Amino acid sequence: METTNTSNARGHILASIREHLAASREHDEKLRVHGSAAAVVPQSNGGKADSVPFAIADGQTQFATNLESWPSAIANGTESALPAVKGSPPAAQSNIELFKTNLEAVNGHCVIARTELEIVHALTRIISELKHTQLNPRRIALSDAKGLERLVRLVAVQIDEVAVTPSSAEMFDVDIGITTAQATIAETGTLVLDSSRERHRLISLVPPVHIAIVEASNIYSTLGEALSLLQSDQEISPIVTFITGPSRTADIELTLAIGVHGPQELYVIIYDGPPLMS
Amino acid sequence: MNHLTTETFDQNAKAALTDVQLRGALRNATSLFGERRREAAAGLVNWEDLRSHARAIKDETLSHLDKYLEQFVTNAEARGVQFHWAENAADANAIICGIMSKRGARTVVKSKSMTTEETHLNDALEDAGLQVVETDLGEYIIQLAHETPSHIIAPAIHKSKKQIAQLFTEELGIAPTDDIAVLTRTARNTLRDRFAAADVGISGVNFGIAETGTILIVENEGNIRLTTSLPRIHIAVMGIEKVIPRFADVDVFLKLLPRSGTGQRLTAYQSFITGVKKNPGDEGPEEVHVVLLDNGRSRMLAHPTTRQSLACIRCGACLNACPVYQQIGGHAYGSVYPGPIGAVITPQLIGLEKAAQLPYASSLCGACREVCPVKIDIPQLLLHLRAEITEHTPGNAKKSMGERLTFKVWARIMTSPSLYNLSTRLGRMFQGLFVREGKIGDKPTTRIFPPLAAWTAARDLRPLDATSFRDRWRNELKGDGND
Repeated sequence: METTNTSNARGHILASIREHLAASREHDEKLRVHGSAAAVVPQSNGGKADSVPFAIADGQTQFATNLESWPSAIANGTESALPAVKGSPPAAQSNIELFKTNLEAVNGHCVIARTELEIVHALTRIISELKHTQLNPRRIALSDAKGLERLVRLVAVQIDEVAVTPSSAEMFDVDIGITTAQATIAETGTLVLDSSRERHRLISLVPPVHIAIVEASNIYSTLGEALSLLQSDQEISPIVTFITGPSRTADIELTLAIGVHGPQELYVIIYDGPPLMS
Repeated sequence: MNHLTTETFDQNAKAALTDVQLRGALRNATSLFGERRREAAAGLVNWEDLRSHARAIKDETLSHLDKYLEQFVTNAEARGVQFHWAENAADANAIICGIMSKRGARTVVKSKSMTTEETHLNDALEDAGLQVVETDLGEYIIQLAHETPSHIIAPAIHKSKKQIAQLFTEELGIAPTDDIAVLTRTARNTLRDRFAAADVGISGVNFGIAETGTILIVENEGNIRLTTSLPRIHIAVMGIEKVIPRFADVDVFLKLLPRSGTGQRLTAYQSFITGVKKNPGDEGPEEVHVVLLDNGRSRMLAHPTTRQSLACIRCGACLNACPVYQQIGGHAYGSVYPGPIGAVITPQLIGLEKAAQLPYASSLCGACREVCPVKIDIPQLLLHLRAEITEHTPGNAKKSMGERLTFKVWARIMTSPSLYNLSTRLGRMFQGLFVREGKIGDKPTTRIFPPLAAWTAARDLRPLDATSFRDRWRNELKGDGND
């Protein structure tokens, strides 16, 4: 552990914070008496979860069950049950549609597959269509999600190379990255990638095309639910990434350009069917 | 390279007003961002509740900032993050150069960070002989052009695609083009090599979550993900005010920040970084460092009015809404933080004496307060700072004698119906001396009276109507009834 002589600075900064907060007390008091402005310091118990004076409609939902894990369908071959979430719409179907609509609104593509074969068909169609574009994919990289390689081997398109979790140096030559995702958020069309479940940090980022396969039962309605889910784990993974559509920028004359640093194409295949055999 | 300074704000602003291309670009940008923000906010039924909630979280955090900072540091340290505290910009830069030299690191990829703009980190790195490249497209463009950002979320908003194409032709040797897709691809390809070779990735931080020790960074391009994933060392620079108490609080801020900034429901990527990787074979950097920067922030805690400044989440909505920013753009402010929020933060960071013109760069219209996702009362802050400037400017006591007298007389007239009547009657009698084409404008007669001349030099004043409202009420409008 490094301490570049900052223990002193730490003391100084914390002391400065305390000193200035103390100096503010008389002004805070005046404000409270006059009942003015939003700047009144709220009464707080110093960081307990109930200390925010405002309650908010969504985002406060807590999962009743502590999900042992929230695996992708392919990762462990079982269908994970959607935990009981107070106030979330029970109809999973509407969540699939909502997810699809919201993903497409941000230039992503969404395919729904009801059988394993339909997943393979969807992959085949996506890759063969890309063959006719400038991208002309030849190398594919897969994450280490269980069963993923078996599915990709069934794809009936000529591919020069399929690599499972290549090194970061090799990643720059890959044309398509295929992963699963640990959850999705319907209201925003978002993929949630948890690095402790799957090695997909770079595969989902470096290649110009990212294809993600997710199980319909892992779609959550709201951002708040997905966040509660992350926290319900014993410990939050070192890196959790939310992905909403392909990489984008509007830095030149506010004109949207897709695929500036991350993928320029994002495909999500939602698997809405019986548990997969792996 | 022509860096403007805060001291010359008035001249900067005047020069900006004559820049036709800049004003066109600003008009497009601010109206588009403003429109998108309005639509996005309207998409949430509880927008106002969210704003209040976010502000309450910020107020709670700031009034116990020492506790939350320590909680954040303890939790992140337990997961292997290394912390460095910097009282000022020079210390922060020295810490970062020190981390690099100790590890023999030479090359840096950097993602957009207003905090490192504030500390002028790139200059410090270059002075130390280190190579640093900005990877956000807008920041990359202005780095190539040796300029500074002109907008918090769209740094190169002042440049046309023609200028950018020419820059790329000169600096990167591409064939002349004005195809934005080609320009974007050029930046992607050029920067890929830099990402692959970099020893260190330097990023900012949007939120530091005390409860879990998590750093949250929000973006659209993917360069932050690359910056924080590929190099073996990640250094995040974070202002001490960026801490929030609980993981669940993220929900509120992720609803507000993208909608207020770009009108998006969510930006393309959010990276939640909680500690370092657990196994050496895992993806991601071997070391994660956080540099906590004070640089004048803790001073702002000393009063509830100034403390609000620290609630800012850097969305840029107030820039787009501000009639002053809309006309002059970011560079005129002479500081990395432009617009209304810049006009209140900059003087507090660098000292009132160095930025005394900025709190006056506002008509106090309140548009910034309306759009602020954390309800910062910027007009109140501007007045607070103006009062401080007036109090502390030597010789002001004498100068303000006349002003004080004027306002005393004004108050006397405005609170007495008969004096008010008399004065408006006199006004009507004599205003003819100043009126031309129905307006009180710049005329030899108006120039005689300094306060009036200051106003009419750049704008007109409406003359008093021939009949006062009181007369019209008495003679025409008032009915027969007494109610």
